[in-house]
Amino acid sequence: MNEDLKKTLLNPIFKGNPITVLVLGICSTVQLKGALVMALSVIIVTGLSSFVVSLLRNSIPNRVRIIVQLVVVAMMVILVDQVLRAYAYSIDKQLSVYIGLIITNCIVMGRIEAFALGNKPIPSLLDGLANGAGYGMILVIVAFFRELLGSGTLLGFRVLPASYVPNNLVILPPMALIILGCIVWVQRSIQKDLQEK
Amino acid sequence: MAKNFFDKVRPTFSKGGKLAWLHSSFDAFETFFYVPNRVTRKGCTHVKDCIDLKRLLIIVVIALMPALLFGIWNLGYQHSQVFGLGWGFWQMVWYGFVKIIPLYLVSYIVGLGIEFASAQMKGHEVSEGYLVSGFIIPLIVPVDVPWWMLALAVAFAVIIGKEVFGGTGMNIWNPALLARAFLFFSYPSKMSGDTIWVGGLSKALAGGTPWKGGAVVDAVSGATPLSHASLDGLSAAGTSAWNLFLGDIPGAVGETSVIAILIGALLLIGTGVASWKIMCSSVLGALFVGWLGTVGGVTDIPCWEQLLMGGFAFGTVFMATDPVTSAQTETGKWIYGFLIGALCITVRLFNPGYPEGMMLAILLMNTFAPLIDHYVVNANVKRRLKRAKTV
Amino acid sequence: MNTNSNVYTVVYTTIIVVIAAAILAIAAMALKPKQDANIKAETISQMLTAAGFSSKEDLAKLGNDQILKMYSDNIKTAFLIDAQGNKTGELETAVNDIELQDNLKVENKNIAAGDPSLPVYVFVKDGAEINVIPVYGAGLWGPIWGYIAFDADCAKIVGAYFDHESETPGLGAKIKDEAWFREQFQGKSVNYGNPERSFRIVKGGAPKDDNAAVDAITGATMTCNGLDAALNTWFRAYMPFLQKKAGAAATEVDDCCGGDCCSGDGECSDCNHEHNHNHQEG
Repeated sequence: MNEDLKKTLLNPIFKGNPITVLVLGICSTVQLKGALVMALSVIIVTGLSSFVVSLLRNSIPNRVRIIVQLVVVAMMVILVDQVLRAYAYSIDKQLSVYIGLIITNCIVMGRIEAFALGNKPIPSLLDGLANGAGYGMILVIVAFFRELLGSGTLLGFRVLPASYVPNNLVILPPMALIILGCIVWVQRSIQKDLQEK
Repeated sequence: MAKNFFDKVRPTFSKGGKLAWLHSSFDAFETFFYVPNRVTRKGCTHVKDCIDLKRLLIIVVIALMPALLFGIWNLGYQHSQVFGLGWGFWQMVWYGFVKIIPLYLVSYIVGLGIEFASAQMKGHEVSEGYLVSGFIIPLIVPVDVPWWMLALAVAFAVIIGKEVFGGTGMNIWNPALLARAFLFFSYPSKMSGDTIWVGGLSKALAGGTPWKGGAVVDAVSGATPLSHASLDGLSAAGTSAWNLFLGDIPGAVGETSVIAILIGALLLIGTGVASWKIMCSSVLGALFVGWLGTVGGVTDIPCWEQLLMGGFAFGTVFMATDPVTSAQTETGKWIYGFLIGALCITVRLFNPGYPEGMMLAILLMNTFAPLIDHYVVNANVKRRLKRAKTV
Repeated sequence: MNTNSNVYTVVYTTIIVVIAAAILAIAAMALKPKQDANIKAETISQMLTAAGFSSKEDLAKLGNDQILKMYSDNIKTAFLIDAQGNKTGELETAVNDIELQDNLKVENKNIAAGDPSLPVYVFVKDGAEINVIPVYGAGLWGPIWGYIAFDADCAKIVGAYFDHESETPGLGAKIKDEAWFREQFQGKSVNYGNPERSFRIVKGGAPKDDNAAVDAITGATMTCNGLDAALNTWFRAYMPFLQKKAGAAATEVDDCCGGDCCSGDGECSDCNHEHNHNHQEG
């Protein structure tokens, strides 16, 4: 694999993580299982949307660029939602409207605008997948702590002793942002060059 | 004597001394006991206060004393009432004392521990802001709260509420309230209901039958444990407005006695430590919405009784007026206080899920205080510009 | 080619939209049967849980086919009733074309309008009939619903199951997650003497002598109020049917007094036995 592709693939995971560094498309789930499915869905949507738009990039009329991108993204999201509803009904029920709301996730449109419109299909695909993965990683970390501290379980299995008193605040939405803040904190103390002056 | 001790050991902690890395801890202890040999330095964290912070905080602590002392007696009194023990005065005080001391220990050990550690890590001097927060926290939580929960809440309040924003003077929210909010949202089953406010009661009930007499309003959540009846109003519960004023009802340690809080309020206003504008406007706001509530038929509780209930008085006097988190401009203080009072009663009237309206109202207005200030300042600037133009 | 001309733009977007629509239509058609089966199996497994045939967790491990089979093996009949409790239609129960009346939202409106078409599912378990009816209402954030299972003469509730769309996890969501909450319904009865308030969910603990009341969940006042309202609305709508059943049973046994029957025949004697779950622990 050449250097550029490698960079395309690795940068969004850590150094240029769409959530902790670009602070785009934040979203969260309470359960780890939901987070994994959500992460997978976003990876597929970002990857395929970038790929398709990149294929079309030379033919898209500039004036309706955003609309065409939106059609592609919306189509991908609905497909993912339909497939989940057919093959993973219980999780789809749990995630309810949030799968559909991937359409509004800025990472998807952001990567299409910033990358796919100016690059060949294969690098675009990788860029989309990697950004989805960068997003998914954070989502899974946040959900890991929320499920662990909020219900004492992981993937539905009890890992903390029954005497552990679940913390309800962790389950409420604000705590997702606080955990996210802590992740940003940790990342920036490791990578000093990310710290704003 | 102690002064000599400090003087003697100072070189050890000064630059170049053996224990120089501990100098911020040394400073903290020295200035806690004595007026520091230098006044607040330029560029340190005391952003908004010009007189020495520590003196100011001591006044707040003194103002809190009546509420604390009354609360200690009341703890024993309630326990004795509920369990029919017929205790004498000193027995009650002793019970309350024994109950409250561990809460103070937890509050200060955890809170100051984190303050010291973070000051040490950043190389700042230890700020004294936690003295008051740590003093207030045990006064506003249920007395039977497990110690580890309290420790967790204090840690959360100090780290997430204060240190990440830059320490004392930089925090957006009142740390004591944040600790309470943390407990309230984290462990709602331990923080609401009407059995938690009497020492020993929830433990006694844990093995027994479910407690009858659901309470909704925060004041009421304290008002009923004796009545065993569902609540139609205060009088039905056998609690008169006089009881609310005096404070011999179950509730958070420092919050029950309006009269003790008033004594503190007079001290704070007399010394100019807390803003009378915020207190006044908060009372006005509460009266206004309370009055709307009775006129609109939402509640039967007369608006002035709302002032005596729950955490309103305590919040208005000691927490809404926190100089760091409240509005700074004079007009802003009126707006800020009024909205706190109004929001508090609004929450009480319309949200049975989260009855402690005061906590939510103050935290919300803490968030908006800078915005209020911003607009007040802008309006001022505009008015002056206009005047300058017309002249 | 000038990609910015008006004609090109219109033609291009039209083509893109048509292609996307075609792909989605094909996908939706291909996946529809599977999705419908999922929804049906979900509804059925809620009923089976309420009726006590299995637990939701165990059913989740089974495939849709097995759940449908379990339903049609155990059901005796399923039918629709109107507001007067008269039978208005049958629901198919054969395994390959099971019919359910599961659009509860619409029926909830119809109840208010006075013209509902309400389903009753009659299962047979260990030789005794079990009548399962749905309830539906509004929680704090979204709809909540559930299934209540009655014994043969509708004198006693034998089980219940509740679900919700978006109640607060750890608080309102406990109506589904906490087994003790639905288990308290077992052995309770509907108060036929008071159709407007035939069942209560009591904050702070139900009185021990009230057999038509259960404990609310601490910290989930709004959800419990919603569920309380839902139960009362739907029990009210089913009241003529339930009373007819109970009345028929009363004339047979002859010493049962309709609603709060706890005398004589011994079958009801376990009405009062310990359901004093201590909600403080929850």
